[in-house]
Amino acid sequence: MTPATLYLSNDTSSRAVGADRLAKQLRQQSNARLIRTSSRGAFFLEPMIERDVTEGREGRMVWCNVTASDLPNIVAGRGGVPLRSIPFLSAQSRFTFSNFGITQPLALDEYRTRGGFEGLERALDMARDSIIEELKIAGLRGRGGAAYPVWSKWQAARQTESDEKFVVVNADEGDAGTYCDRMVMEGDPFRLIEGMLICARAIGATKGYVYCRQEYPAAAGAMRAAVRKVEEAGLLELNGRPFAIDVVLGAGSYVCGEETALLESLEGRRGVVRAKPPYPAVSGLYRKPTIVSNVLTFATVPNILTRGGAWHASLGTDRSRGTIALQIGGRVAQPGLVEIPFGLSLRKVLDQFGGGMAAGSRFKAVQVGGPLGSLFPESKLDIPICYDSFSDAGAILGHGGIVVYDEDTDMVELARHFMAFTADESCGKCTPCRIGSLRGRELLDLVHGGRATKAELTLLTDLADTMRTASLCALGGRAPYPVLTAIEHFPGEFQTRLRAQEAGTG
Amino acid sequence: MPDQPSLDRNLDQLLSEECGRSGPSDKPKLLKVLLAVQERMGYVPPHSIPQIARRVGATEADVAGVLSYYPDLRTFAPGRHVIRICMGESCFANRCSRVLRALNDHLGIVIGETDAGRRFTLEKVYCMGNCAVAPTVAVNQDLFGRVEPEQIPSIVDCYR
Repeated sequence: MTPATLYLSNDTSSRAVGADRLAKQLRQQSNARLIRTSSRGAFFLEPMIERDVTEGREGRMVWCNVTASDLPNIVAGRGGVPLRSIPFLSAQSRFTFSNFGITQPLALDEYRTRGGFEGLERALDMARDSIIEELKIAGLRGRGGAAYPVWSKWQAARQTESDEKFVVVNADEGDAGTYCDRMVMEGDPFRLIEGMLICARAIGATKGYVYCRQEYPAAAGAMRAAVRKVEEAGLLELNGRPFAIDVVLGAGSYVCGEETALLESLEGRRGVVRAKPPYPAVSGLYRKPTIVSNVLTFATVPNILTRGGAWHASLGTDRSRGTIALQIGGRVAQPGLVEIPFGLSLRKVLDQFGGGMAAGSRFKAVQVGGPLGSLFPESKLDIPICYDSFSDAGAILGHGGIVVYDEDTDMVELARHFMAFTADESCGKCTPCRIGSLRGRELLDLVHGGRATKAELTLLTDLADTMRTASLCALGGRAPYPVLTAIEHFPGEFQTRLRAQEAGTG
Repeated sequence: MPDQPSLDRNLDQLLSEECGRSGPSDKPKLLKVLLAVQERMGYVPPHSIPQIARRVGATEADVAGVLSYYPDLRTFAPGRHVIRICMGESCFANRCSRVLRALNDHLGIVIGETDAGRRFTLEKVYCMGNCAVAPTVAVNQDLFGRVEPEQIPSIVDCYR
C-alpha cells in the first residue's frame, strides 16, 4: 500500500502547541510519509494535519486541533474536512503568503517550481530605474509604521553616489501582537532573499544584512540555512560579484526596530536612535546609502516584479495599494494570519476572520499596531483598514497586529502596562521619552493603586502632550496614544480609581 | 561557576576565535562578541570587561555601555534553565498575569530572580511572536503556547 502523504506545520507557534510530538509519532508509522511545511496561519486550528487525497478528489483533507489519538484515523483517511471548506482560508487573497502551508520552507526547488525567483530574473533584465518605476506604479508603501513610499527610498539610495551600499532587512519589528515577519522568515525565507536581491540590483548594493530579533531563533536559523542554499545554487551574486547576506541577531531591545537604532546596533553599538535627516537611504550603515525595510516589505517585492506594478496597484484602496497581512490575536475565536486587500472594515475582519469573540468573552476594546497603537471601542470598529483612515483617526496600522481585549480587561492596568513597556524600552537618548515614560508609569501606578487625584490625571495628559510632540522617535511619540485612548473611551475606569474623596465629583 | 583563571582562559580563547572570524575590513562587532560570550558562558562576567575591550579594540566604557543597554545581555550567572514569560499584548489579553502568578508560586521567585538551587531564572519578554497561541512561556528554547496556570508545574518539572 502506498503510504499516506501527510503535511504538518513546522512553524514555531504550531510547535508550541504540540506539532513536534505529533511528528515524532507519525515518523514511527510505516504507512505514513510526513512532510513538514510552513503554517497556513490558521493557528486556531493548529496543530493541523493535511493529507493528499487520491481517488479523483481534488485538494487536501484537513484534520484540525489534532491530538495523538486522532492519528490512526488520519493515517487511514477517516474523517477530516476538505481544506477549501475552511472559510478563514478560502476568503483570503494570498499573494505574499501564497506558499504558506504548501511548500517546505527550505526546499529551493519547490520555491522555484511555484514561481520563485521569476521576479529577480525580470529585475536582472531591467534597467535599474525601470525597477524603481515598477514599484512607483505599484504604489507599494513600507509595511511598517511610517508607510513611506518604497520607490522613493530606493530612488534616493540609487541616486546617491557611493562605493558601498547596503540592503538591511529589519527583522526586529517587535510589536507585540505581530508575527508575520517571523512566519515569512521561517516559512518562506527564499521570498525574503529574493526581495533583498531585487532591491540590491535596483540600488546597486554590495552587501545585505538580516537583523533578526533574538526572540525568533527558528527564524534566524531558517534564514541562515536559506542563505546558504541560495549561495550554493549560485544565485547569490549580482553583476558577476558575490552578494553576501549576513544574518545578525539582536539582543532584546525594542527600539532596534527603529531603522536608525537598528543601524547603530548593527554597527555593534548601543541601539540608540539617530536624529533624521540624513535618512538611511542617503547615509545609513557606516554612513553609506542603505535601504532599511521590514521583512514584509521585501517579501512583497518579488510578486510586484513578476506580476507587474499595475497588478499590485489594482488591489486595495486609493492610497493603500496591495494586500495587508493582518495578525489577529487576543480574545478572539480564531486567532491567525490573514492576507487581504486593504479596505475591509475592522469590524468585518474581526467577524469574518476573527470568528467573533473567544468562548465566554465579551468585546471591550481592540488595539491595532502593537503597544503604541490606539485602542478602539466597539463604536469605532467601522474604520476601514488602510493607512489614511487610521492616520485620520489618530491611530496606526503599524505592522498589522490586531489584539482584542475582553470585558475582564482592566483598562487602567492595561494603560500602566503600555507605559511600563515604554519605560523599559526607551533608548534614553531623548528626555521626553526617557523621563516622560517613567513619570507616566509612576502616575499610572498612583491611579491603579487608588492614590491619584484628578490633578494627577491632568498631569498625565499634559505629560502625554509633551511626549507626543517632543520625542525623537515613534516610541516616545506614540507611547501616549494607547494611554490617552484608554482614558478617552473608558473614562469611568480611571475616574473610579481616583482617591475616594475625588471620585464621583465630576 | 568556573573559577576565575579558567574562565579567563576560556574567554580569551573565545575572544580570539570571535575576533579572528571577522575579516580585515569587517572589524569585530562588540554586540556580536558579547552575545557569543554569553552564549558560551550563560552571561558576561563584569570582570571580563577590560579583557573584552582590549580584544575588540574598544574602550571599557564602550563595552560597559553596550553590555548595560541590551536587555538580553546578563552580567550574572543565570540558573541552569531560563524561563521566560511573554508579556506582549496578546498574552496580556489572554491573562498571562495568571500564568506569571503560577510561575511565581511554583518557583518561589519573581521576575529577574534565580531560585535557591540555581535551577531556574525567571525573566519577562515583551513578545515572542507566538501571539496566536497566547499566552506563551519559554523554557530555554522550548516554547509552550495556550498555557494555562494549572499546567505550570508539569511544564517546569520536566526541567528539574
